[in-house]
Amino acid sequence: MDLNQSIRLLSSWIGQIGDLGLNLLWRFIHIVVSLWYIVSGIFEAIESYAISLGLNKKYSSIDLEKLRCLAVVVDIEAVQDVAKVVELLQWLTTIGVKQVGLFDSQGLLKKSKDLILETVPGSMLLEEIGKDFSPDGKRIALEFISSSDNKEAVMKAANILLQRYLKSSHPENDKGENFFTESHLNEALGVVGENVHVPDLLLVYGPIRSHLGFPAWRLRYTEIVHMGTLKYMRYGSLLKAIHKFTGVHQNYGT
Amino acid sequence: MGEKEKRASNRKMPKHVAVILDGNRRWAEKRGLGTSEGHEAGARRLLENAKDCFAMGTNTISLFAFSTENWERPEDEVKCLMALFEKQFRAEMPFFQRDKIKILVIGNRAKIPESLRGLIEEVEEATKSYEGKNLIIAIDYSGRFDILQACKSLATKVKDGLIQVEDINEEAMEKELLTKCSEFPNPDLLIRTSGEQRISNFFLWQSAYTELYFPTVLWPDFGEAEYLEALTWYQQRQRRFGRRV
Repeated sequence: MDLNQSIRLLSSWIGQIGDLGLNLLWRFIHIVVSLWYIVSGIFEAIESYAISLGLNKKYSSIDLEKLRCLAVVVDIEAVQDVAKVVELLQWLTTIGVKQVGLFDSQGLLKKSKDLILETVPGSMLLEEIGKDFSPDGKRIALEFISSSDNKEAVMKAANILLQRYLKSSHPENDKGENFFTESHLNEALGVVGENVHVPDLLLVYGPIRSHLGFPAWRLRYTEIVHMGTLKYMRYGSLLKAIHKFTGVHQNYGT
Repeated sequence: MGEKEKRASNRKMPKHVAVILDGNRRWAEKRGLGTSEGHEAGARRLLENAKDCFAMGTNTISLFAFSTENWERPEDEVKCLMALFEKQFRAEMPFFQRDKIKILVIGNRAKIPESLRGLIEEVEEATKSYEGKNLIIAIDYSGRFDILQACKSLATKVKDGLIQVEDINEEAMEKELLTKCSEFPNPDLLIRTSGEQRISNFFLWQSAYTELYFPTVLWPDFGEAEYLEALTWYQQRQRRFGRRV
């Protein structure tokens, strides 16, 4: 073996050892970050328990004036457990939330709509009340939403606008400026049954930290909070999330 | 970040990272500085982080630099931001060409100053042949505007006989969105700094299954360590795209 070959072999070994070392370092970073999240999770669980017991006076009364509409996204795995969804809605009613949009991508909650409405005291369908809903007492208006209310609804609404555009008499160089505006699309979404109730706060229940296809058109300024899995949901965490929202100040980009 | 660190971290890297650069003004206020200095610090951080992202194997980075709503900010601040964009495009052009980064600016260009508009066209033209690294900069962008312009684009194609009404579906829509320019139009990871937990009209259609990460650090302080933490967090996620496991 000549000198060049030896040097190449040595470089290769050094490279492999270096790669191994850095791989181990990356895994170590993962372990540290995971431990950090585990410890944070333990503290959050303790805090949530304390809030549930009423030990923290800050959460004893929450001003819900800013929270006109709350939405809940439930992961597809968790949505089978309707009892947990009912429990969550009962908590929300206790807290005083008046309007809730329930979303799961496959529409399984829509199929359980009757059961949920029967089981949650004071609940009623939002679409049967109309836009000027202002309930008294412990009543809650529910809207059931799925993926068909997202992109599919936008496509149907876009088709309505398209038909209007094609049927109208417009100059050759008109690119649809007067037909495709936000208010036109809002109106067309209403026609296809997408109510466009814009949630102020979106709570995501599940292992994922995305909104899972909640109607995109509604999400412009919505606060999005990940709540963990539905199976291990905590009343204290729910109170904390809503309380935190009431303190948020949005400048809407200005 | 060295070559070897890149290789070590190569498992499960997001192909498309979107960033909402929030916190420049608060960062400046905390230090007793002017708003423009906050935005300049943000601009420097922007390119440093873009370099790190590409070094770690990300194909596309999208930056929400200026929203439609930002036009409502004080006139001086808006002028400062437009001037800053011009300055940064000119200053970083050698970097884009050296590292073969394709630059794409998305948004409604009608209100952008003419000098900046011209410069954007130059930069896009000069980098259009590059592949493998895309830097998408959203200026005067809104998610609702993106959806509406896609609808208009489809309507124009139907009017011109290029497609039939029956051809209009989600796939057709996605091909008309402003992110069609990228091989990976839907972000895997969306980072919004400064602790605000909303997407503020950014990539509304594209973000259905995007992992949302909301660190509390302000954008000018979001450095390599913070980005590594975001990546570590992302790599621990189990992405299902709405399907059962």
